[in-house]
Amino acid sequence: MHRMIQFLARITAIIGGLVLVALILMTTLSIFGRSINKVLHSTFFQEKLAGVSQSLIDMGVGEINGNYELLEAGIAFAIFSFLPICQFYGAHASVDVFTSFLPAKANRWIAAFWEVVLTAVIILIIWRLYEGMQRYIGNGETTLFLQFPVWWAYGASFLAGIVSCIVAVYCAVIRVIEAVKGENILPSEQGAH
Amino acid sequence: MTNLELGFWSFPVLLLMVFLRAPIGLAMLLCGFGGWYMAMGGNPTPLLAKLKSETYTTFSSYSLSIIPMFLLMGQFATLSGMSQSLFKAAESFLGHRRGGVAMAAVGACAGFGAICGSSLATAATMSKVALPELRRYGYSGGFSTATLAAGGTLGILIPPSVILVIYAILTEQNIAKLFLAAFVPGILAALGYIITISIYVRLNPNSAGTRPAVPMAERFKALADTWPVLVIFFVVVGGIYLGWFTPTEGSAIGAAGTGLAALLAGSLNWSVLRDSLLGTAKTTGMIFFIVLGAGFYNGFLALSGVPQFMADWVVGQGYSPWLVLTIILIFYLIFGCLMDSLSMILLTVPIFFPVISAMDFGMSTEHLAIWFGILVLIVVEVGLITPPVGMNLFIINSMDRETPMTETYKAVMYFVGSDIVRVIILVMFPAITLFLLPS
Repeated sequence: MHRMIQFLARITAIIGGLVLVALILMTTLSIFGRSINKVLHSTFFQEKLAGVSQSLIDMGVGEINGNYELLEAGIAFAIFSFLPICQFYGAHASVDVFTSFLPAKANRWIAAFWEVVLTAVIILIIWRLYEGMQRYIGNGETTLFLQFPVWWAYGASFLAGIVSCIVAVYCAVIRVIEAVKGENILPSEQGAH
Repeated sequence: MTNLELGFWSFPVLLLMVFLRAPIGLAMLLCGFGGWYMAMGGNPTPLLAKLKSETYTTFSSYSLSIIPMFLLMGQFATLSGMSQSLFKAAESFLGHRRGGVAMAAVGACAGFGAICGSSLATAATMSKVALPELRRYGYSGGFSTATLAAGGTLGILIPPSVILVIYAILTEQNIAKLFLAAFVPGILAALGYIITISIYVRLNPNSAGTRPAVPMAERFKALADTWPVLVIFFVVVGGIYLGWFTPTEGSAIGAAGTGLAALLAGSLNWSVLRDSLLGTAKTTGMIFFIVLGAGFYNGFLALSGVPQFMADWVVGQGYSPWLVLTIILIFYLIFGCLMDSLSMILLTVPIFFPVISAMDFGMSTEHLAIWFGILVLIVVEVGLITPPVGMNLFIINSMDRETPMTETYKAVMYFVGSDIVRVIILVMFPAITLFLLPS
């Protein structure tokens, strides 16, 4: 079970990360395309090499159409898929100066309490995301340039959100077990940047 | 209870949760939810409706997408071997001086800060390269770790900087101008640390050994090897500044460029890429969760009217703007020792910024916003190297098991001193920060 959840959290994060890499490559390509397009439209190319530059422009050398839309949809998916791993590794930032003098037992209960609250909040967020998706399915809104339905982007994020909920529930259960049994099971590497 | 009272009550509640070790993003979300719910007279419908789109909107923000890209860029930079070439170049020029290897570490941190937007990543990466060298040439443990912890803060001060991106979005300022404004204070910080090192080795002659000088030809060869850093820095920061592309596009190019450099250095195989992605995922997830919480909480605060009330009240009291600024900066210094810089900025800037902008410092609103941003960035970063809980100190100390934490604490106080002197100089002479900007 533990390994399965860990695998789920990691694979989701890696998929999100690969989407991030794809977005980076797309954006970079788009900038190159735009720059070349600008050069092709310059007076020199328009006068001396009109044929070549026109055919290149016709081939579609230029900014990638709708790259902003793809970036926004993709980055939302990526970030939703980063949440499970954050929770699994206990990477959310917190302040522990004031609780560090408490005994380990009390600290485990505190951790379990917040983990349960965090899980409830994540479920609330993902449930509302689902409702948001329903609204866009209902009204059939599409994006401006690429004309894909807005709910697709919500749907992708919602899928990652489901993983967040599963991992969150698992972490909450385990943290409570940790508190009851008085031992550490999950990793806890408070993140910082 | 009026909304204003509600807003004021939310502070102690939030602080209580944070001090009881609630994840900071969660504490802000809970206060934001609670505040909205109560301000709407106990009706959950508006809050639930807001939640339908708010999370997606925050996570899909075009300007915030710069953050995961800069973070991945930092991960790639770590793999690209650029940290080694930077340190080698700095060491060949400075290494033979008194305390020179430590100075070289600071110089290399500054260089690495130009392609990495995060303090901890800079501190951790440079430590891997520089710690063994420092120890080899007889630099004492505490002095070495303190130097690298302080050097790490240059990562966030010298653009690109993740925290400045957040500040720019919070205060609706131009990211390019903030990056430009951070440049001179960043160089000053590096110089300040180098001076600190030379004072330290004179006061503690046993803390540093000597290293033979390197011939001139080799020095310039080492310097020439750092060209990828210069190219990436000038393309990213220069391109953003000259308007060739948006800051988000700049961060994408930077990530692609450092990724290419890592690939060419032969260090980017699948397992390394996977670890970079996981590292980026953890930090990004953590940051966006805080940003989400801050969005709800600050939305509620704005609704309650607290920031406006505070600004009016402070101006009405007729306090000197400089006194108010000093108090705010001291507040940041103290709280920066307890809380991470990002949470600090997200929590406090929406309250302090209206107060500062309502006061007359004899400069334009935009300049005031930029100057204040740089000052805040510096003082919260001091918290990263202030005992007892400075994050940089922990990261580096964990890489050098032989050195007791107390040794690091003792030596790092010199660098904290240098930081405080620099803040005072920047407060007294705003032109140092602002002269590069078009008026």
